[in-house]
Amino acid sequence: MTGLGKYLAMARTSIEIWFVYRTTFVLNMIGSVFYVFAMFYLWQTIFLGSPGALAGFTWPEMKAYLLVSFVLGSLMPWFAEWNMSMDLKEGRIAIDLARPIDFQASRFASAVGPVPLEFCSAVAVGAVVAFMFGGIALPADGAHAAVFLVSAALATLIRFGLVYCVSMTAFWTTGTDGITVGRMAVQNLLSGALIPLVFFPDWLRAVAAVLPFQGMISTPALTYLGKMDAPTTALMLGVQAFWAIGLILLGRLAWRGAQRVVTINGG
Amino acid sequence: MAASVASGFRSARRLVYLYFRCLGQQMKAILAYEADFVVLLFSAALVQITGVFFIWTIFQRIPSINGWTFWQVVMMYALIFVTEGVGSLFFEGTWQLSNLVYTGKFDQMLVRPVSPIVQVLACAVGFNGLGNLVTGFVLIGISMANVPVPWTLGRLLMLAILIVSAATIRVAINLGSAATAFWISAPWSMIPMFVHQLGEFAKYPITIYSLPVQAMIVIAIPFAFVSFFPTAWVFGVDAWSLPGLLTPLVAIYTMLMAVTIFRVGLRRYESSGH
Repeated sequence: MTGLGKYLAMARTSIEIWFVYRTTFVLNMIGSVFYVFAMFYLWQTIFLGSPGALAGFTWPEMKAYLLVSFVLGSLMPWFAEWNMSMDLKEGRIAIDLARPIDFQASRFASAVGPVPLEFCSAVAVGAVVAFMFGGIALPADGAHAAVFLVSAALATLIRFGLVYCVSMTAFWTTGTDGITVGRMAVQNLLSGALIPLVFFPDWLRAVAAVLPFQGMISTPALTYLGKMDAPTTALMLGVQAFWAIGLILLGRLAWRGAQRVVTINGG
Repeated sequence: MAASVASGFRSARRLVYLYFRCLGQQMKAILAYEADFVVLLFSAALVQITGVFFIWTIFQRIPSINGWTFWQVVMMYALIFVTEGVGSLFFEGTWQLSNLVYTGKFDQMLVRPVSPIVQVLACAVGFNGLGNLVTGFVLIGISMANVPVPWTLGRLLMLAILIVSAATIRVAINLGSAATAFWISAPWSMIPMFVHQLGEFAKYPITIYSLPVQAMIVIAIPFAFVSFFPTAWVFGVDAWSLPGLLTPLVAIYTMLMAVTIFRVGLRRYESSGH
């Protein structure tokens, strides 16, 4: 197998793995839906108490925002840091180093393979939640929906780039539990997954604006709702693309450093 | 009579001693990756701080949620984190049970002359629990200072009892749901995680939920007694404070249930062999 073929084979394998463990994957997602339910009840109570809009969000818009955040958060739920750490602790990394493949591209292939399946199951679960809470706002028209899909794809690239970069720290620290938990905490806050960024005080909004996280949830969710005018949307998509490329390049740089410090455990 | 009490006391002391010996061995394993360990403590605290920050941003827009103030909600949040901290620092082992049963490693525990429950509870340490405990207690302290309630000795004593009870309920829920591993053979059972996620509902006042959700977290899996009812009692919210007094009884009940589920499960355990 040459060129793209070997990576396609890896993507196919990861899809097969997804099907083998489908119950676990779906149950895992349904587990995180309790969080979404709690959020829906919380915001429902808040909007009942103060009818109209909060920070420019109406209740149907907030419902849509929460679900877009849930669906995007369900894509690539891989704990690359954990996998990397286990590969190092158990010495499996030796096999990867010996393979005639690009390491980052191979990890991307296996991460991206099941994404369509994850997307469909998350949308199905999200639709049930939406139905129970009386429907959500939909994109204004086909063009908005198309822009949203582009932004969501870029968001997934940023997620891959970021998690891959963070997983590289395993080569220096071996254990990565702490780094993973820290990454998730910062990402949840600054991506807008917990609450739309417009609710933040100005200083934190400024911090979020110069970091890659907002491209993971906030930007695609706002394009879904059509809350940005055309020039702003174009600019924000550009920012997403910048971070996607930047993080992927940074990951390649980190991999080069990692190969110099790698310790192979066992044989 | 006196002799049997004395021997009962000796065996209880021996269990506690063995428990901490097991835990100590796990700690050594974790400290092998020192950098990760330090980062984990701070990361666990960071998760809580972002959670409280989320609540804070909401309260910047509205004065109260269903009549509950910011500091009352912080108290509920903090109780969830403190109890989670106790669970992961001292009883993380429940999360390993499905793997132990699946791989047959559980056999080892049956041949040792110590209660398998104690061995399971002590077979792992989650040091992120320490970060959770410290920040959780700091948050409890701050919210106590910000809620206009007279802090009599009786109230403080009851608060301590409520925190211990809440932590017991949390550990019992973990143990009971982990024990489902005896029925479901899988390398990583989703049921404990599923039940654990129900705790999300307990971070906010239960008055915001519909009746089925309330029934689930009050009666079926009593997460409401981990955070909501104790908070209502401590801060003297009359409408909801009375059930708060039941928390210690609920703790005893859930622990008995968990141990029963474990024992029934244990009886049908068949080794997967090696």
